[in-house]
Amino acid sequence: MDVASAPSDAEVVARVLGGDREAFGLVIRRYEPGLLRYAARMLGSRDAAADAVAEGLVRAYRHLASCRDPARLRTWLYRIVANRCKSHLARRATADVSLDEAPPVADPRDTEAAVERAEQLVLVERALRTLSPEKQEAFVLKHVEGMSYEEMAAATGERIPTLKMRVHRAREALLQALEEYR
Amino acid sequence: MSTIDPRIHQVLDGEIQREALPPELRRQVELLEAAAALLAAAPKAESVEQRVMAALRRPAAPRRSRLVWWLVTPRAIVLRMRPVWTLALAAGLALLTLLPARVSRPDVGEEEGIAQFVARFPGARSVAVVGSFNDWRAGSIALEDRDHDGVWRGVVVLPTGAHEYMFVVDGERWVADPLAGRYVADDFGRENSLLIVRPVLQ
Repeated sequence: MDVASAPSDAEVVARVLGGDREAFGLVIRRYEPGLLRYAARMLGSRDAAADAVAEGLVRAYRHLASCRDPARLRTWLYRIVANRCKSHLARRATADVSLDEAPPVADPRDTEAAVERAEQLVLVERALRTLSPEKQEAFVLKHVEGMSYEEMAAATGERIPTLKMRVHRAREALLQALEEYR
Repeated sequence: MSTIDPRIHQVLDGEIQREALPPELRRQVELLEAAAALLAAAPKAESVEQRVMAALRRPAAPRRSRLVWWLVTPRAIVLRMRPVWTLALAAGLALLTLLPARVSRPDVGEEEGIAQFVARFPGARSVAVVGSFNDWRAGSIALEDRDHDGVWRGVVVLPTGAHEYMFVVDGERWVADPLAGRYVADDFGRENSLLIVRPVLQ
């Protein structure tokens, strides 16, 4: 899509609220990859993440009129999905296969570099799993989703000093874990 | 107590330039950045777009079914009431029981009740009520201030049961009803006012 002509979040929200339901597809395409990535980190399962994101997006559509600041749609969506993730964790089914337990299957067509990269990813994911859920969330929002502390506060409802402390502790623990695995 | 050099945090938080770090600390910064990049580039999950859009295109369940579903679904409800509001609430309820005998009552079904909204917003140009009963769409239930005394009123017929609602002042400011007495935390980090509509005694 031509970025210059892409409608802003506020414009898309106005279109949806004006009755153009299909315009919500733009919202999905714009934020789904990050939301799925975030939910997968929180839930440790891609299937559960897909469920949480799908539920969150449906909920967001139904409550779109209550999004007071459409320009901050992104953090609003993260907040909804974060709540869906918490609900999933509360009623977690033991049948979920975690990302840890399901390492990527080697494909004979993979290059050596791709295999090495997959192994590194498993290592990083394992290190991430050693962190508490709050620290994982803080690290992912900050460094994987690239949010500012202000955006993180809007997405999680936590105070900025609390988030900053969690990110710092997450970096320290992750660095230590990564150094040990090396 | 930090176990790594605080300058690593300063670089990652954009407070100082990475060139200010000695090579060993710079390597640690790069290790964390590489870990984050790996997580960001992890295999993409399957899109949920079709699934979501299909759900949105499905006709909504009848209002009665949604109400039943709302009532039978377990959920955490936070009720907080200041003692001073209990008096106001009791006075309001007493008024509600006395008023119907003197005002003309709209047609009310067996599973409907009358909700009276009263709010004080001096200087407001418009006040509307939005809530779970009108899909949170502003403008569909407008309150009136006939006396121009800043007190806005409206009476509507709603299905019996619990409804979440808020006031929208001047089309943009969302305000919880300070007289509601009951509030429900929603998914979006705020508290909606809670109204319970009871059937009208025939």
